[in-house]
Amino acid sequence: MKQPTPLGELSRYKQIISREEILSRLQDPAFALVNVMPKETFEAGHIPHSINLPLAEIETKAREVFPVLTREITVYCMGPT
Amino acid sequence: MEGLGYINTRYYVGGMADWIESGGAVARVETAAENQPMRSIRANEAGRASWASALDKLANWPLEQLIGFWLGIIIFFGLLYWIAGVGMGWGLQAGNTLIKPDLDGFGTAIYFSFVTALSIGYGDVIPLGALRILAITEGIAGLLIFGCVISKLVSRRQEALVEEIHHTTFEERLDRVRTNLHLVFSDLGTIDQINREQSALPDQVAKRFESSVRVFTGELKTIHDLLYRTEILPEEDAMESLLANLALCLTSLSDFLTSQSQRSTSLRLELRTISNLANGICSECVPRTYAPALKQWMDQIQETSKKIA
Repeated sequence: MKQPTPLGELSRYKQIISREEILSRLQDPAFALVNVMPKETFEAGHIPHSINLPLAEIETKAREVFPVLTREITVYCMGPT
Repeated sequence: MEGLGYINTRYYVGGMADWIESGGAVARVETAAENQPMRSIRANEAGRASWASALDKLANWPLEQLIGFWLGIIIFFGLLYWIAGVGMGWGLQAGNTLIKPDLDGFGTAIYFSFVTALSIGYGDVIPLGALRILAITEGIAGLLIFGCVISKLVSRRQEALVEEIHHTTFEERLDRVRTNLHLVFSDLGTIDQINREQSALPDQVAKRFESSVRVFTGELKTIHDLLYRTEILPEEDAMESLLANLALCLTSLSDFLTSQSQRSTSLRLELRTISNLANGICSECVPRTYAPALKQWMDQIQETSKKIA
């Protein structure tokens, strides 16, 4: 078992983000908002400024969209299911 | 996401449902509706562009042709005034009488045409009826073309100056490339020697090597651009000496690399760039045909590029 990096540990404490924070940081270019719904669902409605990265394609496309592993990313889907 | 190696990931657990419930704005991708206004704007722009490009084309004509065109327009309009006077009975009026359909009248028509095109407008000859529209059209066209002629005359000296400046900066750039290639070459030799004598720490040697490689990449890019941009080109013998220097550097670089096994990530990236750029320098890929000697150097460069990275 590999030891988690300090940075990885840090991210574990702040895994969840609030609606207010998203709202306040929507215009921030360093803040990446990712919608993991399929393309059709994304097109029907999404939070402004978010990027569509369907769950099915995430493994193949993530590196292309976010080449930097330390990039601040916020992920969301349809809701608590 | 964390499974993929991202370490700064957070989750908005509420998702879309929570977002909409608390009144957040929702963006949609609309295809048909949004495209409509876009297209009309674009069409508008295209219309404006064609207008502007027509004027630009006119301004790009040589001076003699522009003056000829301008004179042609004046004479053409003069003829129109005269014919209108002859055929329809209403034409130009000089003093209190209409001009006559003879040579004298033709002279007056041409005179009026000049006065109008130069926007002098003495008023001793006046157009009647529909000729007024014609006169205004001629005035606009004449002014535009005459403006082009004047600007051509004024910018003649300036164009020569700009060309001179271009030439000088270009020469300087070539000089810089030559000097830097020489520097890189001699530096590679020194590094190789230090390496063999082991008189410096490997860490320092690696740093020095990397900085040399970086300089080399910059110059390689310049040469690559030179070969692919066809509008400005140095003399063939100058180009040949550049390519020979480049080939020399590249060969010594690849020789040095074979003796070196450890490479940092940044160095590896740099080397890949070098390899790609050098691979683009080949006699068949460049858009211009060069002398056989140049081609030989290019092919050698391409050959060596495969050994790097």
